[in-house]
Order: sequence, then structure tokens, then C-alpha cells
Amino acid sequence: MRNPYSKPRGAVTRRDSLRIGCLTALGVGVADFLRLRSVRLGGQAMAGEHLGRSAARSCILLWLDGGPSHLETLDLKPEAPLEVRGPFQPIATQVAGIQISELLPETAKQADKLAIIRSLTSPLGEHGLANNYLLTGYKPSPVLQYPSYGAVVAHQRRDDGLLPRYVTIPEPRTGGAGFLGSTVEPFATGGDPSKPDFRVRDLDWFPGIDAARLRRRRDYLRSFDAAQAAVESSDSVGDPAWERAYRLATSREAKSAFDLSQEPDSVRVRYGPRMFGQSCLLARRLVERGVPFVSVINTGWDTHEGLVLQLKQGYSGAKVGVGLVPTFDLGFAALLEDLALRGLLDETLVIALGEFGRTPKLNVRGGRDHWPRVFSAVMAGGGVPGGQVIGASDQVGESPVDEPISPNDLARTIYTLLGIDPDLELRTGDGRPVPVNQGGKLVRSLCSR
Amino acid sequence: MIGLVWFGLMLLAAEPERPIDFDTEIVPVLTRSGCNAGACHGAAAGRGGLHLSLLGADPAADHEAIAHAFEGRRINWVHPRKSLLLRKPTGHLDHGGGMLLDADSPGAERIVRWIQEGALRTSPRRLSAFEVSPRRARLATIPAEVTLEATARFDEGRPEDVTAWTIFQSADPSAVTIGDDHRARIHRRGQHLILARFLHRVEPMVLVVPWAAPDAARSDAARTDAARTDAATSERVPVDDSDSSPEEVIDRHVMRLLDELRIPASPPATDTEWLRRVTLDLTGRLPDPTFVALFLQTDGGSRREKRERMVDRLLSSDAFVDFWTLRFSRLLQMHSLPNEQQGLAAYAGWLRSGISGGTGWDEMARQLLTATGDSHVIGPANFGRMAADPRAHAELVGRFFLGMRLGCANCHNHPLDKWTQDDYHGLAAIFARLERGRIVELSARGSVTNLRTGEPAVPRIPGLRDLPADGDHREAVFQWAVTGPNNYFARATVNRLWRAMFGRGLIEPPDDLRDTNPATHPELLEWLAADFAKHRFQIRHALRGIALSDTYARSATPLDNNGPDDQFYSHALRRPLDPEVLVDAIADVTGVAETFGDGVYSRAVAVIDPLFPAPTLDTLGRCNRAAACEETLVRNATLPARLHLLNSALINAKLASDLGRLHLRIAAGCTTEEIVNEFYLHGLSRRATVDERSAWLEELEVTDRDERRRRLEDFVWSLLNSRQFAENH
Repeated sequence: MRNPYSKPRGAVTRRDSLRIGCLTALGVGVADFLRLRSVRLGGQAMAGEHLGRSAARSCILLWLDGGPSHLETLDLKPEAPLEVRGPFQPIATQVAGIQISELLPETAKQADKLAIIRSLTSPLGEHGLANNYLLTGYKPSPVLQYPSYGAVVAHQRRDDGLLPRYVTIPEPRTGGAGFLGSTVEPFATGGDPSKPDFRVRDLDWFPGIDAARLRRRRDYLRSFDAAQAAVESSDSVGDPAWERAYRLATSREAKSAFDLSQEPDSVRVRYGPRMFGQSCLLARRLVERGVPFVSVINTGWDTHEGLVLQLKQGYSGAKVGVGLVPTFDLGFAALLEDLALRGLLDETLVIALGEFGRTPKLNVRGGRDHWPRVFSAVMAGGGVPGGQVIGASDQVGESPVDEPISPNDLARTIYTLLGIDPDLELRTGDGRPVPVNQGGKLVRSLCSR
Repeated sequence: MIGLVWFGLMLLAAEPERPIDFDTEIVPVLTRSGCNAGACHGAAAGRGGLHLSLLGADPAADHEAIAHAFEGRRINWVHPRKSLLLRKPTGHLDHGGGMLLDADSPGAERIVRWIQEGALRTSPRRLSAFEVSPRRARLATIPAEVTLEATARFDEGRPEDVTAWTIFQSADPSAVTIGDDHRARIHRRGQHLILARFLHRVEPMVLVVPWAAPDAARSDAARTDAARTDAATSERVPVDDSDSSPEEVIDRHVMRLLDELRIPASPPATDTEWLRRVTLDLTGRLPDPTFVALFLQTDGGSRREKRERMVDRLLSSDAFVDFWTLRFSRLLQMHSLPNEQQGLAAYAGWLRSGISGGTGWDEMARQLLTATGDSHVIGPANFGRMAADPRAHAELVGRFFLGMRLGCANCHNHPLDKWTQDDYHGLAAIFARLERGRIVELSARGSVTNLRTGEPAVPRIPGLRDLPADGDHREAVFQWAVTGPNNYFARATVNRLWRAMFGRGLIEPPDDLRDTNPATHPELLEWLAADFAKHRFQIRHALRGIALSDTYARSATPLDNNGPDDQFYSHALRRPLDPEVLVDAIADVTGVAETFGDGVYSRAVAVIDPLFPAPTLDTLGRCNRAAACEETLVRNATLPARLHLLNSALINAKLASDLGRLHLRIAAGCTTEEIVNEFYLHGLSRRATVDERSAWLEELEVTDRDERRRRLEDFVWSLLNSRQFAENH
């Protein structure tokens, strides 16, 4: 029995190439699509602008680790029996006909920017495996570690900028470089951006060390290594990783990219005081400065019990909810609004996603368990048409009934939106060719009306 | 010569008189055209509705898919040329894979004839022999061209030329390209590999072009020899190694290939270079400066005797045991299990005492493969617990004992090796009944499904024989992998030991041993494996031979014309220190220990568990369980690692410490010269040259005491980050 989601590659390629990057309607082919991206990256607004659509320059992935409940966030079932519908009510959004959870009032105001996917489906219900699947588009394999989105982006966007190409706030979960190797591993900030003493790991000078001493250290180091190079009669004195580290550590601009204290209080407040919101703000600062991929890791969504406490209140007796969903709501909505205000939203793809959904029936502890058969995610910006819902789950949020989308399909779509040819072949360490995406089906409605 | 003529006549007999045989004549056309490759119809799910077995491993299923599936719509019986099977790859119909076959080509013609004959698969022929020519050829210079040929025999028939249906693949297309005319064009000097595939057989072919033209001093005979490219002349005469010591054998084989390639060998390293290298390789530590001084001064006996004494001393040290326990723990993928430290403690303790006491690795291997009982007490019983299930267990057996990647054969027959899906699942079946809880034992039930058949897999010694479904066959695995005639374990292990000492295995990568991935020095590897087995699988014996060879003692400084060589040992390769070794070395030089887990460990090499929290080691790239740690030598070179070395406490706090070596020396009133000398000796295991010393004195000798301290700290910092320090060379 063939996997219903793995469309034969030949057919998909052929058809997709008609619409790749959603440029088709205007008669732009694959070759153009690739060129177009480079044109855009070159900073000159050309064909892409006229088309009203071009590959996204950056991506912010808000990773909701543990598997957020679709039934309490984006896909509520008010008509379902009590044991399914859960404690929260839906509310209307700014877009007629689209409802989301009452815990997401700020997000509701941004609904015109949102593409809500309600028909993600996957067979993998274990955190580690599902994490891998959702972050790479490949089901995990014992023989090969596939690279995550950020690693592929970092691998494809080789530029000479100061800042790392793939940043994770604060620490990576799964989703590393896989077979692409250590040069595209995520750069982890460490720490908590909401804390006043937040510092990126190893970016600040050690106490007692100043710029003059760093310069001296570099000079001394060069003299050691130059002596070595002379012996080898090679001309490679500077080590590229050293030079990057040195430039990053001594560049005021690079450091200020990570410095949230430079944001006006009015902006900081909008994102909410908690770690997630301030991480979103940091992500915005980074994409604004050209970082092509930032992931914000938000843990705690594995809500096997106490939905009200964990998702809404945050702690027992809280007067104002500071649980997972309200915290997400503030940060996510502020991020979209802020990006739009700065004219960055069109070129920044924002994705909020976890590894699976939760069981339709509440369990005895008032929580929900793992449920990959159907779950939700939301995308915005980066050319994604807003104000729409894609796919649907059944009456109890148990299975997809319309337009099932596999993580593999999602991956093809994300890469396409980011201007990376999904059929591009990457090479494993031992030279095996592996395409960026294999067999995924492009989700058209995420690319074009 | 007569053979060649006969061969030539045979080529003329293009297509046979008898009916076309699907298995041996149609499948190769499909394979040659790429139809059944992993990226096309050979993928597990097929492509475009057509699924073929990967590289034609299952002709019966392929025939079914082509001739019968979809009511036979892929075949047009009336107009064979209009069959979908041909219209698609010849570009007449839209085809996702593009145009792969010329409509007039012999391949297309053969398919047409096969369809005309009924598109049958009757009494298939079996491939009984496949040979390539040349197997090893030496060419005088570049650019050069060689014609590649392949012959096959089916059942008991005569050899047939199958060159046109053989896929010749260059291992390094930047060195060798292969045209449609089956001619290999060599663009780079050196030793190059081509793989020739026909049906399920893959044969390696080696092409050699010496690095330099024969010099005038060489005889004309040598020149003539170099110009000949036929296989027969480049087969090399075996050397008699029977009465030689390991180091003599190593040097003989390495020099022979260097001579053949005309790569000059760098001169020997100095005593201090050698001492630093061998101490780091055998013990994971820098040589103690008092050792250095002693080694340089003692004049008891020859250089050879001095080095023997030093190697024996290192091999019997505690540091050797610590370091090789760590190394083997990585190969065994040892790690703690959730909420359970005792298993790993017992396992690591067993490994350590085995290495310390010199237990032969045959005995160690037997215990790893067969131990049962309470894994908190019986160390080797944890071997199978490092694997989540029987298949992972089988793969770990493959990786550790065979140095092979059996995992490929999970979903399809190994495309480059002899292993089949039946082999893979059969080996897994042997471990299927193993309980992997704290108490490791064989239970009555347990099986794995053979993905090929969908049935419970039959226990099987890979490549050899099926075993009864019941019974404990783990001892049979031991005999097959370790003591059997194939010497699998010995070969995999000496290759790893060699790699640990040279930075490169005789076969790379060390977990991908197979006939189609030949060693750079095949006879040497076989000799070392046999010698290892003969000496009761003692790693000290194997390491001693390597450490005492002239090959190992060569300078790391390349000559003008051997610099690009990174596989023939014309000079030593520079290798970054392992993260654990680097951290310990920084601690030793600065005189301030780096501790882990609130002082649980005071040396990084003691942190066996890759899951034990050690952010510094993680940042510097320590091997974690998820990665196969053998694959890359690029470490310490990431941006986070560099920032860590630049800004973190790892080095900075140790330099600033009042109890550190530097500040103690400053407080004791040592001169700048004394301090420079001491750090050169501790960090680089040598004395500063006159030029270096005077340059540093000029830079560091300032009157302001604080400024002098800062400059000295910066001096030590840059020493600790220099390539001379952070690499073994």
C-alpha cells in the first residue's frame, strides 16, 4: 500500500513547476523563479515586486514544543460533546467566518495576516520522532539525520554577513544540521531574553578583557599561526571560523542585534513581559538585520493534565492568564504587527508549529494526550495569503476531512516560499544525493489565492 | 595476446540468437538508464505509479510491474515501439525523469525485441561471474585515458561482453570522469577508484598515476613499465612479510606505494615532535615537561631503544587506560539510560578494567555479544541495551564488530555490498528475544518482521546460512564476526586503531568497510588484521607496532611536492585535538583543573557518558550518541566553539586565577623569559627558538606590572588557541 501522501515525484515536479513559488499565473518558469530569488536577495526590487510576490528573505519559526492542543487554540469544536470541546470558547476574529480560541484575542485582531492550517496530519505520535519529522519534512531514519529547515537555509544562503545564518533562541531542540554538518548547526543564544541580565552565550568579553586586548590576542595568535603557515609554505593564515568569531565579538552592530535594551519600552511591552514574547522581539531584531532563519523555542506544550492551569492561568489563582496560550498570543500578535509596521512582513515568513496535536477526548486528569492524526499550525507573512483557513478536521477534531497536509507537504511549501528549490539535491557526508524535499505536495493555497 | 584477439571477436557477436532474458538483459538496461535508482522508480514508494526494485535486486517483481501491473498497459503487444515502457524514457511521452534512452539505441532495440518475443520471463539465467578490466592500472601521466571493460558469465556459459550494460562510476569525479564510450579520463594524479556495477555485482577498479614523472636516474625499464596500462602488468608481486616486525611491515608497504606513486616522503619528525604526537595519541595528554627533558637528555641506547622504552611506558600508564576507555565507549555508543546510572557505571567499569588488564578483544567481544544477567552488575550485558530494538542491536553489531553499515539493508539490499534484506533482518532476529530491561535475558518470544517478505525473519548469519528459529545463536554471531576466517572484527578494529594514530584509516570511513570501498593499502590492512588476531587481539600490541614505525614518525611538514597527499602517509597529518583532550590540555597548561558536575569529574576524558551535562564539551563538539562520531574530523571549528574559546571562562578564568601557573610564576618573580620558556615547554612540548624568544621578550617585557601581566595572559591565550597547540602534528 502506497503512502497516500507521497505523490509520485515525476508528476509532482511537473505540475509544481507550473506553479512554483506561485509565480505561474504570471508566466514565470522555474529558471526565472531561481533567478528571481537571487535578484531579490541582491537587494534590487525587480520582477519580484511587480509580481507582488517573491521568495521570503527570512523565516521565523515559533516552535511550540510538546505538541499544542489544536482544540484549545486554532480549531475549537464548540458543537462537540462536553468531553471533547474542552474548557474554552471560540471568538470571532477580524476576518468574517474565522474563529479561534478566546485565549487568542490579540491574534484574532491579526487574522487578516494569518493562514490557519487545520488539517496537518502525521503518523508519528512520539515527541522525538515527530519533532524530527516536523522540523525536517522527513520521517526520521536510523541511517541518516536529515537537516532541519534552518540548516538547509543556512546551507543555501552563504553570505559573508557578520551574524550567524541560523539562530536559535534559546537552545535548539531537535532540528540541527543533520548530514549537512557542523558549519550549519544553529547558533544558540542561551539565556532568557526577558531577563534584564540577558546575554548571548559567549558573545560578551570576559571581565577584564577589552577591545585592545582582543585585538592583541588576535595579533599574537596570528603570529603563532603565521609561523606555522610559513613552515608549511601555505598562505592560509586566518581560520574562517576564528575570523567570524572575532568579528562577531568585536562588532558593535552585531552585538546590538542581540541587545533588547535598545528597543523602546513601548515596543518591549507590546510583546509581553515573558520569555516567549521577548524572544519574538529578538527574532525580529535579527531578521531585520539580515539573519535568514531564526527559531524561537517555546517549551511546555505537552499538556497531559490541567488544561486551564497550563494553557490559560500559568499558575493557580492567577488573575490575569499568563499561561502558554495568552503568552503566545501577546508575542505572536505583536511580532506580526511589528513586522508589518516595519514593512518586513512580506519578506519574513512566520510559522507557529508544534510536533502534533492533542487527543479529542479529555483524559481523566483534565488534559489531552498526543494526537498526530490531525493538528493545526499557523503561518503568516513571506507571501502567504492571509485571512484564510486551510483544510478542516472532523466534528471532534479527530481526523482531517478536507485537504490533509503531511509534514512533508508542509516542508515542500515552506522551502518553496523561502525560495529554495525543493528538488535541489544535497549531498550527505558520504556523497549520497538527498533532495531538499522528497515527494511532498505543494500546498497551493499557502502560496497563492 | 591470443586472449585479447578472442576477446575482440567476442565483442562482434552483439546480440544473441536465443530469446532475450529479462533478468540479465533487460534489467541491466533499466539500471544503466537509471530507471530503478533510489531517486526514481527504485524508491521505496516508486515514482509515477511504477515501482521497481532498487537497482534491479528483485527481477521477478520488476517483471510483474512492467509486464502485468495495470492490466499490462505498460506494454503494447501489437506495436512494441509504442509501449509506455519505451515511449516514456525515450521522450515521446511526458516523463518526470526526462529522456533517458535513445529510441534507436541498442538498449531500446533490445527492449523492443524482448516485447516482440512476448515480454516473458522464462527460466532466468543466473550471473555466475563478473569481471572487470583493468582491475588496477598504472598510467604514466595526465591527462590519460583507459578503456573500461566488463565481462560476465551466466550459468555455465561463455564469458560475454557486458561493458555496454555496466555502470562505471568514478568515486571522485574531479579526478576521473567516465564517458559514454566507457573510457575513463584521468585528470588528477594519484590513486583513484572506479566502481563497476552489473546486476547485483559491484567490482572496484583502481587507476594510478604517479605524482611525478620518472626522474632521469630511473632506468628505461621503469619508464616502460609506467607506460603500460594493461591489468596484468600492474598486478603487484606480493611481498613476503612473514619474518618481519609489525613496524617493518608497515614501513615496507607504505614506502612501496609511495614509490609507485613517486611521492617523496617527508623526513623524520624531531624527537620532541614525535614525543608530543605519540603521547597525545596514546594517552590523550601532553607530555609532561620533565618527560620531555628526560627523553631529550638520556643517552642510554639508540634512538630506537629510547622510543621503544617511551612507547612501552605510555602503553602501561593509567592515562592510556582512561583515554582508550573513552575511545571505545564512543565506538560502543555507551550512554546512560533514563533514571539509571548504574548500568553505565558497570559497563564503563568493565571496559576500563578490560583495557587496563589487557584482556584480549576477542574475549571482550564474546562478552559483549553474549553476556546476560543483571546489567547493573555485569557490564557487557549493557551492550544490547544501548540499542532500542533488535534492528538497532544488529546495526550496532555491524558498526562496532564489522565496521559496516548494515542499516542500508533494512529497506533494500545493500546497494554496494553483499548484504541482503534477509541478512539484515536475520541478524536482527538473533537478538529479537533479548529482554533489554535491567535484567538482560533471553525470553521465550520475540521476532522481527522481514520487511521484504512481511513474515517473521529467519535467524541468519549474514551471507552464510539460516539458523533454526529457536535457540540462542549469539555465540554463532561471535564466531562469524570475531574468530571466523573473514577476520571482520580484527580488520575493523585495526583500521580504527590505525586511524586513531594517523588521523586517517586505511579504509575511510572506518564504519563503511566493504569490498567496494578498498583500502589504500589492502595487503597491509590484511596483515595487520591477521597479526592482531594472532596476538590475542591485544590493542597494545597493534598500537605499539604503529607507534614504532618510521611511517608514524614522519614530520608533519610537507615537502614541496607531497603537500596535497592526505592518504599515503608521505607526511604526518595535522589533526585537531578531541574536545576532551583539548580541555584537559588547557587545564594542564594553565595549572587550573576544569571540573564537571560540581567536581564529580576533574578531567574531561573521564566523562564517559555523553549525556552527562558538560556544556563546554558540547560547545566544543564532543561526540554525542546521536551522531556517528567517527565520520568527521572537523571539530572545534564552529562559530560557537570559537566564541567559547575567545570569551568564556574556560581559558580566561584559568589565566586570571591566582592559583594558576601564570600568576604563580609572576608572583614568584620569574623573568619573562622563564615564563615564555615554561609555557612553550608545557603547551608545545618544545623550547622556543631564539627568534621566537626574542620576539616575545620584546613584546612582553614592559615596565608597567599590570600591563606586563595582561600581555602575558594574552600570550598564553594565543598559545592555547594556536594551531600548534590545538592540533596534533
